[in-house]
Amino acid sequence: MDLDVETTQQGPASVLTLRGEIDVYTAPRLRQTIVDLVDGGASKIVVDMEKVDFLDSTGLGVLVEGLKRAKSRDGTLSIVVTQDKILKIFDITGLNKAFPIHRSVDDAVAAAVAEG
Amino acid sequence: MTTLASPPSDGPELDLELPAKPAFVRTARHAVAALARMHDLPDDVIEDVRIAVSEACTAVLPAADDPDEAIPIRLSASAEATRMVIELIDPYSRLEREVAGAPAELDTADLPFDRALSLPIIRGLVDEMAISPRQGHGVVIRMTLLTEEADTES
Repeated sequence: MDLDVETTQQGPASVLTLRGEIDVYTAPRLRQTIVDLVDGGASKIVVDMEKVDFLDSTGLGVLVEGLKRAKSRDGTLSIVVTQDKILKIFDITGLNKAFPIHRSVDDAVAAAVAEG
Repeated sequence: MTTLASPPSDGPELDLELPAKPAFVRTARHAVAALARMHDLPDDVIEDVRIAVSEACTAVLPAADDPDEAIPIRLSASAEATRMVIELIDPYSRLEREVAGAPAELDTADLPFDRALSLPIIRGLVDEMAISPRQGHGVVIRMTLLTEEADTES
């Protein structure tokens, strides 16, 4: 299983829908997509990880970079996760405190809208 | 002091040699996960195994200056009903003496994992770890993951 990255617009938010596995081989594709979005002016990014089957530290590193990049342009990057196996990785690294984590894309978009 | 579980007696059931390239890390973790499934290990342990293998293989990759000249990744694994033992050869790291124990108890400087993200993951998932100098060059990283049943017995 590779990694599919699809970008759609939901109101003011750019929603990145990920499907597949995020590791040292596939993470560069995710990194480039986030860089392109931020550099292209996207200020509210929602990363939907509902269909992600695997995540390791390489993928986490890319998300942290993306968060820093978005914040440096006064933007936001939030995550949508409900799978326990993915949440566990955020929990044991302490990154559950660094990212806004939502249970659905609708919740994440609503939170992004509420932030103004 | 932590007493390490000895590896299963009949030698590794899985012995892999893969090109030290990012595309093959997935192959390594899928093969080891298949072995864990064959032994009916619980799903949560299989998931931890996949991540531990991915972290260990990824830790070896950046040490290769020229990916085309990199020494292949060598990995072996054995499983029993309550545990899985994974060994990976890191041909680039150096170590004077063996270090072993629960990852949370080891000096992090001895562990060949990225300090920021990879190390906390390994510490959170792996029950026992041993890193031994290898004859010639490099080190052998041995990771043991136990089921809850095994944790209760110990």
